[in-house]
Amino acid sequence: MSVPSEQPKADRELLRRYHEAGDLEARERLIEQYLPLVRSLARRYSYRGEQLDDLVQVGCIGLIKAIDRFDIDRGVELTTYATPNIIGEIKRHFRDKGWSVRVPRGLQELNVRLSHVIEDLTVQLERSPTIPELAKAAGVEEEDVLEALESGQAYATLSLSAPSSGDDNSDLDPLESLGVLEHEYEVSEDRAVLAPGIKALDDRERKILHLRFFEGLTQSQIAQQVGISQMHVSRLIRRSLEKIRAEIATEHPVERRAS
Amino acid sequence: MTAPIRLTIPDDPRYHGVARLVVGGLAARLELSYEHLEDLQLALASVLDNEGYTVGPEVNVELVVDEGSLDLRIGPLNGDALRTDLERESETEIGLGRLLRTVVETVELENRADGQWLRLEKRLKSVNTETTR
Repeated sequence: MSVPSEQPKADRELLRRYHEAGDLEARERLIEQYLPLVRSLARRYSYRGEQLDDLVQVGCIGLIKAIDRFDIDRGVELTTYATPNIIGEIKRHFRDKGWSVRVPRGLQELNVRLSHVIEDLTVQLERSPTIPELAKAAGVEEEDVLEALESGQAYATLSLSAPSSGDDNSDLDPLESLGVLEHEYEVSEDRAVLAPGIKALDDRERKILHLRFFEGLTQSQIAQQVGISQMHVSRLIRRSLEKIRAEIATEHPVERRAS
Repeated sequence: MTAPIRLTIPDDPRYHGVARLVVGGLAARLELSYEHLEDLQLALASVLDNEGYTVGPEVNVELVVDEGSLDLRIGPLNGDALRTDLERESETEIGLGRLLRTVVETVELENRADGQWLRLEKRLKSVNTETTR
């Protein structure tokens, strides 16, 4: 944590400017100033299989809430007030998402296996398979398929850098597989087209969202075009949308709270 | 038209998975493709997971299967917040409107006694394979 010790006075001035005069620039400066605190706290929790960047984003929401709700007249320092808020937000993230981090190994393995089955059946049937077809091909009950798919529903739960447990890991080694693809994209055009919240995304995520929501391609068409599995496309879409939401939440926290 | 499937869950992210599983179970019964299921779940998540839209302390999810379509209704919700986001359509933004209209065919708000509900209609095409069950 690198907020200097003489900071409180300057902080109070910024907080006053923001709370009393609505000076958003002051708020921005406070956020930037306390980012190292967020990073340091997020680092404590990143061993749990979540990407540090994701936790920093979550922690930032806590920081911003703290800045927005800070009562200047209460005589505490912002650090004192913000720390439990940031930790609280990170813990809430784990509480909300944590169940899937603790997904039983059997389900995780089935999820990995299903990823391959979906690809195989999509090629074989020339369309996206149904749940009964997946169950039959995987030799499990439909309910198992649903549970396994649910366990893999990202919503930021399966970290993109988390090690996969399958035999052939190509599907679930996204960072590696995506690295190969990057050069194929003409990303600059998309960067210009997509704006709010999108800056939180990397070029590959932007590209996939662009194909899905602006060009109307289906997940399997994107998978084919990009050369990754459909399940992987699905995860990237969910993850990217989650990032956009977090980004927008940090940009417009007051609006969100009001809504 | 089948009788509606109605689910009431706490307005708490820990229970949203229950709603997704119910949608999944229905998709399995209807032999919808994995891709259609994904669309429905994404639509559901984009509403439920946004705390600005739900009003708590619980939220209802209603599913009605009609010939060739599935109606997914969620409510009661914060109609003002939803309307604003649905109408704020832009060529550059992946807002709620763009997202939902990509994955379902109809997006509309409905007035009910307990507040505003969102109705999402997904046209369905059972893959109609020789799958025997």
